[in-house]
Amino acid sequence: MDFASLAAQLNTGVIAPELIVIGTLLLVLVGDLIVGRTASTRWTPYIAIAGLLVSVGALYFQWDATDTVSFLGSFNGDALSIVFRGIIALSAAVTILMSVRYIEQSGTALAEFIVILLTATVGGMFLSGADELVMIFVSLETLSISSYLLTGYTKRDPRSNEAALKYLLIGASSSAIFLYGLSLLYGLSGGQTQLGQIADTIAATGLDQSIGLVIALVFVIAGIAFKIAAVPFHQWTPDVYEGSPTPVVAFLSVGSKAAGFALAVRLLVTAFPLLNDQWRFVLTALAILSMILGNVVALAQTSMKRMLAYSSIGQAGFVMIGLVIGTDAGYSAMLFYLLVYLFMNLGAFTCVILFSLRTGTDQISEYAGLYQKDPLLTLALSVCLLSLGGIPPLAGFFGKIYLFWAGWQAGAYGLVLLGLVTSVISIYYYIRVVKMMVVKEPHEMSDVVKNYPAPNWNLVGMRPLQVGLIVSLIATSLAGILSNPLFNLVNGAVEKTPILQAAIAARKSVATDLKLQKAPRLTVSSLK
Amino acid sequence: MNNQIPWLTIITLFPLVASFLIPVIPDKQGKTLRWYALSVGLIDFALIAYALWQNYDLQDSGFQLVERYAWIPQIGLNWSLAVDGISMPLIVLAGLVTTLSIMAGWQVTHKPRLFYFLMLAMYSAQIGVFCAQDILLFFFMWELELVPVYMLISIWGGPRRLYAATKFILYTAIGSIFILVAALAMAFYGGNVTFDMAELGLKNYPLGFELLMYAALIIAYGVKLPIFPLHTWLPDAHGEASAPVSMILAGVLLKMGGYAIIRMNVEMLPDAHYYFAPVLAILGVVNIVYGALVSFAQTNLKRRMAYSSISHMGFVLLGIASYTELGMSGAVLQMLSHGLIAAALFFLAGVTYDRTHTLAMEKMGGLAKSMPTVFALFTIGSMASLALPGMSGFVGELAVFLGFATSDSYTSTFKVVVVLLSAIGLILTPIYLLSMLREVFYGKQTEELSQQILLDAKPREVFIAACLLIPVIGVGLYPKLVTQYYDVKTVEVATRARTAASAIAHQPVQVFTQASAAPKLTAGPELLGILK
Repeated sequence: MDFASLAAQLNTGVIAPELIVIGTLLLVLVGDLIVGRTASTRWTPYIAIAGLLVSVGALYFQWDATDTVSFLGSFNGDALSIVFRGIIALSAAVTILMSVRYIEQSGTALAEFIVILLTATVGGMFLSGADELVMIFVSLETLSISSYLLTGYTKRDPRSNEAALKYLLIGASSSAIFLYGLSLLYGLSGGQTQLGQIADTIAATGLDQSIGLVIALVFVIAGIAFKIAAVPFHQWTPDVYEGSPTPVVAFLSVGSKAAGFALAVRLLVTAFPLLNDQWRFVLTALAILSMILGNVVALAQTSMKRMLAYSSIGQAGFVMIGLVIGTDAGYSAMLFYLLVYLFMNLGAFTCVILFSLRTGTDQISEYAGLYQKDPLLTLALSVCLLSLGGIPPLAGFFGKIYLFWAGWQAGAYGLVLLGLVTSVISIYYYIRVVKMMVVKEPHEMSDVVKNYPAPNWNLVGMRPLQVGLIVSLIATSLAGILSNPLFNLVNGAVEKTPILQAAIAARKSVATDLKLQKAPRLTVSSLK
Repeated sequence: MNNQIPWLTIITLFPLVASFLIPVIPDKQGKTLRWYALSVGLIDFALIAYALWQNYDLQDSGFQLVERYAWIPQIGLNWSLAVDGISMPLIVLAGLVTTLSIMAGWQVTHKPRLFYFLMLAMYSAQIGVFCAQDILLFFFMWELELVPVYMLISIWGGPRRLYAATKFILYTAIGSIFILVAALAMAFYGGNVTFDMAELGLKNYPLGFELLMYAALIIAYGVKLPIFPLHTWLPDAHGEASAPVSMILAGVLLKMGGYAIIRMNVEMLPDAHYYFAPVLAILGVVNIVYGALVSFAQTNLKRRMAYSSISHMGFVLLGIASYTELGMSGAVLQMLSHGLIAAALFFLAGVTYDRTHTLAMEKMGGLAKSMPTVFALFTIGSMASLALPGMSGFVGELAVFLGFATSDSYTSTFKVVVVLLSAIGLILTPIYLLSMLREVFYGKQTEELSQQILLDAKPREVFIAACLLIPVIGVGLYPKLVTQYYDVKTVEVATRARTAASAIAHQPVQVFTQASAAPKLTAGPELLGILK
């Protein structure tokens, strides 16, 4: 069997975007070895970004592909996975933009950082389409282990070390729990590893009432909730976010989280259709807890990174509304929110990095009076934070409206009301930062802002940072107003994804069955 | 959608688009910016005047200048603008007051770029609120105004500005939750999902559901108007904001509440209005009397005016609750008249503050001698506010009274009590306004004040006050000047509301069974189940 026919048999074309990223990764790695550290910093980040963008381009060409299953069913490059892979690749690209200067200033090697980040990206991208237990676990671990390495990347900083250790210990145990859940699934299904077949076999053997399946579900959800930092599996987040290098935090809060959501959708929808109500119930609880705890605790934070950490917990809660309701609009709203969240959250982190590079601090109180010294940074951070808070006409407003719209459509009134109340709470702490920057008078300026260096964009790595800042600023400002293409994209993704369509159809028939039995919406509403 | 020039879109978006140029305009000695902002304001005002003059048909009670473009069809959000008799005068008011307040902010030297940017953004948001015919778009515009007001209060306000601004944003944001919830609930009710206000009004809601929606909306708009227990943000915000911002707050933003109550509560939910109208009337009376009494107790000039606003907005509620053409017309006239008068008074308070550097009335006194023009203007404003015959306030309040007294929807005892109590409020108004004039302008100057240089009003300031006060007198002498613009519409609103009310009144038994059963059927179990 020659290589070409093997490739055709495995349908290798589907993973072309990942292959491009892997190629870029190898190029950076080898190039760095050949040219040497100082010479390579000049071009490695751009090669990496170019590779990621080409990969996103390759994803675009796969949009209309019909034969999406590859590697004998291990990987499914359907439209849903394309959107998720795009989000992850884009978040990695923006992260690289913001990390050049940061890594430069911390005195560590840039190329290695990029290599590890690209590895994490590959892991996340594979995870988004993984359709088989082994594949899921391998890609999850690729993502996780690279993330541990990234959190500890500034090795001279004790807090970074602490963060990495904490993340590693908690992450390893959660992986173990997740793996145990997978092994139960494997056993219950009589040795199946493909998600679809697992569900079929379990249904066929009549094990759908088995307690083992419920335990498997709980363990799997624990593993996923760790990745998306849902309460109560969030304890690692604030410490890890505070200690890690800021670009890594940005990637963890967007790219890694998106991968977690991709895993959640695929695994829960495909492997647990029998426990539909149960997993929705558990996720509803997680969403409620995340929204409340994330937003309320964020109120009390004094460090910008910690505040963003808690805010990202709250934001994950909002996204979970879309997942829980499980309608067409729900999944679309989830994807839409993740897309706009990508830009607004990365924009906010870019600003935080820029500020800390110039002043060396992350304290919210130190931002006082920044408007006088750096209007661009103030504008960008204000726009991104207000967008996270859901203030019109920014992208976040439309994201939230769509989520709440979908939630109300599906009858999840309680979740929507809670989401609304907690977003008002979130406005309070986001606007606190804006107030700090804009409202403070010159004499109330913090000391670091008084000594704020004049913006100098000509230093090594500042240009990419500036580009990242402006790209996310523009995207956050305009993605809401001109959101039609995005809406079409996410709606198309949901429509073209067979697993979601099957799940939605199944839920609809269940709902009509219940209606026929004259118990209108009883189960549905009590779950939400 | 028609092929005409999209006037409403132009007048709504022009200030916002123009505001994006502000960061790049070279500002030499701070003069270019203010001229730029002012000319944007004037051009937009001229556009408003021209567009309405050319295209607005006074005899038509329906929506005019209708524009409708699909914005995000996936969720049914349309860029849908139109004006009718209620919104048209308010748009003109918003244009006038905002333009004048940009002129009033002539001497803003502190962060002028941000100031004018926010003012122009507000301009767009206000007009957008009055034009929007899609409830989601309305919500968008309503929220759009939130952050600019917050910034305007918290940067250019008085000593307690941060507290006031935070209170403002929290109150309004929590209130607007109810708008969104009501919008979603009504939009998804029944088979067709629509956010179009007219179509929402045509849906047949069960009474319990309608009452629930009405309550939600009245909370949201009650924060804005404000209605008695939800008013506490207002004295702080109005008292702490700088004069140009107070002008907009009192002159236009409060009217957004009144406008929305007429537009949504009365027009879209007429059946629930039947049950809530007495409540509105009582709350209106409470507003009138309570606002007047508390106003009298204030020692801060702007806080006194802020409470007086609360008192005056009570008449709007009373007019809305009256179920008569006259009452409804009076409510709209009272909004317009109060918009002008409050803007003038807050502006003059700002003028006085510029000279005296204090708002505490006990520290002022004897200002009439050194500032005779300001005194004269202030007196005219106060007289207008206390409803002196010949001023617009008189006409508005009289129309509300007459409308309420002739209403046949209430028992005569109820009417007597309501009219009597609000008449007491009417007597209290001169007491606190005249005593304000006495404390500020009569008597002897205090030691501190005599050290200040008390210049009389400059031509610019006289011009602004005149622009606001001349219409007040004009309307007072010849009310038809304004009423002709909206009469057709208010008559229609009142008639429709009355028809709906009489329809309910004639079948009370059926209604009450519905009322007790409906909430449980529609929202009860689900909401309760969720909240568990």
